[in-house]
Formats: sequence, structure tokens, C-alpha cells
Amino acid sequence: MSEMKKIKNLKEFSTSADRFEGANLLCPGCAHSIIVREVLNATNDDLILSASTGCLEVCTAVYPYTSWDASWIHIGFENGSTAVAGAESMYKALKTKGRLKQPDRNPKFVSFAGDGASYDIGFQWISGCMERGHNMMHIVLDNEVYANTGGQRSSSTPIGSSATTSPEGRKSYGEKKNKKDMVSIMAAHHIPYAAQVAPNKWKDMVKKIQHGFSVDGPVFINAVSPCTTEWKFDPKDTMHIADLATDSLVFPLYEIIDGHELNITYRPKDVVPVEEYLAAQGRFKHLFKDEHKYLIKEWQERVDANWAYLNRREEARV
Amino acid sequence: MAKKGWDEFEIGAMLRTFNGKIDDIAGTHQENRAYSENSSFVASVADWRINKPVFNKDFCIDCQFCWIYCPDVSIMSRDKKMIGVDMDHCKGCGICVEVCPTNPKSLLMFSEKADEETELAAWPAKNEEKK
Repeated sequence: MSEMKKIKNLKEFSTSADRFEGANLLCPGCAHSIIVREVLNATNDDLILSASTGCLEVCTAVYPYTSWDASWIHIGFENGSTAVAGAESMYKALKTKGRLKQPDRNPKFVSFAGDGASYDIGFQWISGCMERGHNMMHIVLDNEVYANTGGQRSSSTPIGSSATTSPEGRKSYGEKKNKKDMVSIMAAHHIPYAAQVAPNKWKDMVKKIQHGFSVDGPVFINAVSPCTTEWKFDPKDTMHIADLATDSLVFPLYEIIDGHELNITYRPKDVVPVEEYLAAQGRFKHLFKDEHKYLIKEWQERVDANWAYLNRREEARV
Repeated sequence: MAKKGWDEFEIGAMLRTFNGKIDDIAGTHQENRAYSENSSFVASVADWRINKPVFNKDFCIDCQFCWIYCPDVSIMSRDKKMIGVDMDHCKGCGICVEVCPTNPKSLLMFSEKADEETELAAWPAKNEEKK
């Protein structure tokens, strides 16, 4: 194994040479590229990347341009993870046979996908990759909606959010189903590492990504990615929304090692009420009408219950 | 690159980001790389901007918050110092201004047509108000 890149503070981190280029076509203020940059800069090793269909893919590979400075492949909506798993298997086979030209370079295998390509469409493929034990990392850029095709609901869309296929109206309050708990599902594959990260906590993110690179086996990372277009907020507020998401515990940051050992990695000093998180986004605007106000209370109760559950699991080590 | 019609596109394509061989990308900064015409680095999204960020280095403390949170790789940092904004790739989202912790801010948004020299001369003074 090659030596891990040392990142003590942000100044040291800022000497990294980016392997992701500007002039991609992502919206101004998109959190996708912030997450991608933090991941790619966490290592100096070679990278073998893929992206499933989604905002990241259609915006960074518009023929004749590519925004990637590393080996990158896109095939279909569902099989970004298996493309990387295949490359990893080939690499392992060639290494065993001694046919690699530079066997001492330790490439890292990473597949990026949106929540649509991970929670819904590519679910079976990712589950397969985790089960077969490839030495790869799957990163979900979770913006809770099919943002690329115009904001349809995915199984990651939370209750009360207005999406184009579950819009709010005279009777409806928007999406009616709760978000799928993907990290727990993936941890139940007993993979060595599963974690939830957020772009505003860069140090936590880099630590988790580096841990993910250092373990042998599949790694699953769920990254919250505030979407200015579909969550309906001003592009300059991306980091503010991410702060609200982590500080209101809507997106608790934690890791699960070997499928059972849960650690909470970030405990906010001042927990923000969920109401503030909802109020900052246009997709939850209708929840503040009198007839829907009970949903905000339910939201808070759900988030509190989840936080208590995570704390119990951390304590019990199961 | 030759223009192609809508029915003449390749079914699949492989693009090379760099001209010639490259060994250590992670250790080579953008100005020293040999980008090919297929890298989006050679393209520009400057015409997306309505507002542009202006950098005032007098107040900068090199905390690098703008560097890490820039979605478009447009904050140029070399040797732990913030040296400016890459105006070819900046889309004018304004995140860098929001995350800037100095007082007054070392980055502020102005209209795309604003004159940088004038704005720098009229930079707002320190805000004494306690939060």
C-alpha cells in the first residue's frame, strides 16, 4: 500500500493540484463539484473513476470536452459501479499474473453516482459490487431528486418535499414516503466501511475518504449535495444549506465499520431546529401553510428519533 | 475540431485530456500541464456570469475557505497563498464571498461590468458592529 497523503490543515490541503476542471456545465453553486474535488484531492495516487448517468456525468463530459484529468468512464445509468468493479478485477488479475507495466502504482477505484442511480436504478448493481468484495469506493452525491431530468422524485426524496412527480397542491403536501436509509442497507452487506459525509465538513470528509482508501474491500459513502435548482435556494447559499443540514441533524455524519461498529463523527455544538432547515428551501415552502404545519413537528420528531437511535447504536456497538 | 451534424456523432468516444505522456498529474499544477483541445480547461464559461467576484488581497488571511468550497476550481492557490480568481471558469455563484471570514470581506460580488480598480478603491471599511 502506498503512503497516505498527509493533510493536517486547510492551508496544506490547498497545495493540492486539482484533477477536476472548471468550465464544466454544472449549475453555479452546485455542491457536486465541491464533493468531487474534496474526494479527488484526498489522495495523490492514480484514480480510476466512473460516473453513472446524472448531473455529474452529463455536465462534465459534454463532447468534445471532458472535465476529468484521470481515467474516467461512463456507460449507462445503472452500471457505473460495475464498470469500476470490472476494471478493479482486471487490475487484480493482471497484477497476479505480473503483467502490469507499473505494478507499484496503487490506483484507487471510485465510482460516482447520484441518488437516482444509487437508491433506485443502480441499486442491484451496487449491492452486487458490495457483496462481491471489490476493492472500490462508491460515492453517492445525494441531492434527493432526479435533478438532471427535471426534478422527479427518487426514493431518496424526503417527506413533504415538492418534486415534479409529487408536487404540492390544494390537497397534496408533496412527497409522502420517507427517505430510504441507504447507509444502513449497505452496511448490512458487512462491508468494511460505510459513511455519511457533507461537503461543508471537509476535514471529516477527507478523513473518511482516506480511511475508505486504506481499507481492503468495498466502501460506501453517502454525501449530501444541496441542489440550488431543485431545492430552490440562492446559489451563494450552498454551504449555508449544507451547514443547516448537518447542524439540524437531518444529515447526521457518522460511519459504520464492518457493518456493526457505528461512530458519530460530528456532534453540532448548537443543534438547529429542523424548521430552519426547511424554511431555507423553496421545496418545503408549502409546509408553512397552516394546514401542513403538523408535518414540521413530525419532521422534528423523526430527526430526534433517528439521532437517539444513532446514539444508542454507538453506545451499544452493534 | 470539425463540426458534426446531429446524426453524425460517434456512438462512443475516447477523449484525451493531455497532449503526450504525463506521469504525475497530482503533483503538477494547472499552469504546467499540457492540456489538449478536449479538456474543458481550454473552454470558458465566463459568459454565464451576471456578477463577478473581486479579490482584495489587502484583507486576505489565506484561510483557503474559498479554495475548498469553490465548485468551479476557480480560486487559484499556490504555496498556501490565495493568488486570485480564474475568470475563465468562474460562474459567479458567490459561494467564495459567503464563506470569506475576514472583516471586511476580501472577496465581494460586483456587477460583471463593474470596473475592478474603482471597486477596489471604494472597498467597504471594517464593520464594527458586533454580531
